[in-house]
Amino acid sequence: MSGKPDMRVSLGGLELKNPVIAASGTFGYGREYSPFFDPARLGGLVVKGISLKPREGNPPPRIAETAGGMLNAIGLANLGVEAFIAEKLPWLARQDTAVVVNLYAESVDEFGELAGRLAGLDGVAALELNVSCPNVKAGGMAFGCDPGPVGQVTQAAVEAAGDTPVWVKLTPNVADPVPVALAAAQAGARAVCLINTLLGMAIDARTRKPVLANVFGGLSGPAIKPVGLRMVWQVRGTLAAQHPGVDLVGMGGIASGVDAAEYMLAGATAVQVGTASFSRPDACLMIAQELGQFCAEESVARVSDLTGGLNT
Amino acid sequence: MTTIVKAKVVGNQAVRPEVFLLTLETPEIAAAARPGQFVMLKVAPGPDPLLARPFSVHGTDGGKLLILYQVRGKGTRLLAEAEPGLELTLWGPQGRGFDLGGAKRPILVAGGMGMAPLAFAAKVLEERAIPSLFLNGGANQESIRGLEDRLEAMLVAGIERGSVERLRSFFAAKTKAAETSFSGAPRIILGTSTEDGSFGHKGLVTDLLEESLSASQDLQPDLVLSCGPLPMLKAVARICAKQKVASQVSLEAPMACGVGACQGCVQPAAGGGYLRVCQEGPVLDAAQVDWERV
Repeated sequence: MSGKPDMRVSLGGLELKNPVIAASGTFGYGREYSPFFDPARLGGLVVKGISLKPREGNPPPRIAETAGGMLNAIGLANLGVEAFIAEKLPWLARQDTAVVVNLYAESVDEFGELAGRLAGLDGVAALELNVSCPNVKAGGMAFGCDPGPVGQVTQAAVEAAGDTPVWVKLTPNVADPVPVALAAAQAGARAVCLINTLLGMAIDARTRKPVLANVFGGLSGPAIKPVGLRMVWQVRGTLAAQHPGVDLVGMGGIASGVDAAEYMLAGATAVQVGTASFSRPDACLMIAQELGQFCAEESVARVSDLTGGLNT
Repeated sequence: MTTIVKAKVVGNQAVRPEVFLLTLETPEIAAAARPGQFVMLKVAPGPDPLLARPFSVHGTDGGKLLILYQVRGKGTRLLAEAEPGLELTLWGPQGRGFDLGGAKRPILVAGGMGMAPLAFAAKVLEERAIPSLFLNGGANQESIRGLEDRLEAMLVAGIERGSVERLRSFFAAKTKAAETSFSGAPRIILGTSTEDGSFGHKGLVTDLLEESLSASQDLQPDLVLSCGPLPMLKAVARICAKQKVASQVSLEAPMACGVGACQGCVQPAAGGGYLRVCQEGPVLDAAQVDWERV
């Protein structure tokens, strides 16, 4: 094939340089990774979940490595929306990439308030609602498992966000992700992102104690990729039929360009990369480059041609 | 920019059972590394083990980086099998190291693998002609021998072994000596404790610290650097607070990103909240830490 593949994608109201986005919770506020590569080389980045008030997070230990993955129970530690706007957003706004702010809230009203505070600010390209984080005892889980609350939360954020696109990041800890994805789409989400971490647990048999102070944590990493692929594929058909304008963002265990291609073939327009950044800090960049190589090798002229291209 | 490097293994020998000295050819990192800092090292490509792991810098030797590590889990077991010639991926140095700036009469307190960063600190102190007291504790003679050999190997003038009485009078004598020219005599005196009494003082290394600090002297130690198991660090912090001596501790925590992003590696901060070991630490002023909650 002659020439380089076109890596641009249109996703949930945004035009991205390439389909690789750094996932929330693994990429800090973006700047932490700037010593390793220029974030302008990514399609986008999603900052750590931001709440109305600062959150200290869970007591340690907060992380544990497991076979092919890791558990985390950070507890959504963040500096709160006002400090985020004052201290982190000015730097983010100068970066030539799509900055998505992930929102964590404990009520429908709080989601609306947060979305209203952030939408339209310079540097905020889109909002991603975390309705799925399993780490906080009261919160995310309750919204994300049930189509009704997911719809309410999405609607509140969409109404408050005006022209700023709202994405909804869903939990895999449900029997069927389709009704929840449809509820988000119905309520005005421009993209549905899945999957967040799977609820898990690690035990130290010698001490007979749970490894994490929080006991439960979210499982991420290569171990969960088959679950993520299944859920993207599962949601894709119904979503495309009923809400063709709503895009899917695939994530869960992506560690290579080929992994990213798999998610796109399953139906994702773009992907997010999380835990791979802990294996090496420039993983997102490497994955974007590898995806380009994959397209070149497979004679794919536009990376967006991969989306939904699974042969069954 | 911080470069993620592929460094060639040039040595990886046991210094005692289950403890290895890894030597990596990585001039950029070796030039930048300071005592107390760490590197993030991926011990094998691929997803098993998945995460890069933090290793404290044990020293540098020209363009070579030294890492002293104990086999503790799957990753370090795999690392112990790394042969010279193998390339490993790493980046760093990361984190805040020991602040040796103002110290005139420092005490270094190592427990077990705490020797790894503290031997590097001792080397830098020796280079600066600052006399130091090094207190080393372990379970038994067998467990400490290889580690103390490493300390000795790092120092140009070697070490002098001393009793508690010798430790007490050490600074007065050495400070006078330091005012004259460097004589080539050891500037580092080493006191050792073992829990079973098979070598040195029978008991805990913090006993030696208490002894060294309790004697009323004109020339009190002015800084205590420590690295070791958490109960030891707690005791060091308590003793130093009581004696009103500045104290820097090197803390550990299970870590993921190593760059300050994920907030996985926190320890409780004095006054509430948490400190990231990879960013605010791993070396912290003992007063920054809420020892009750650690």
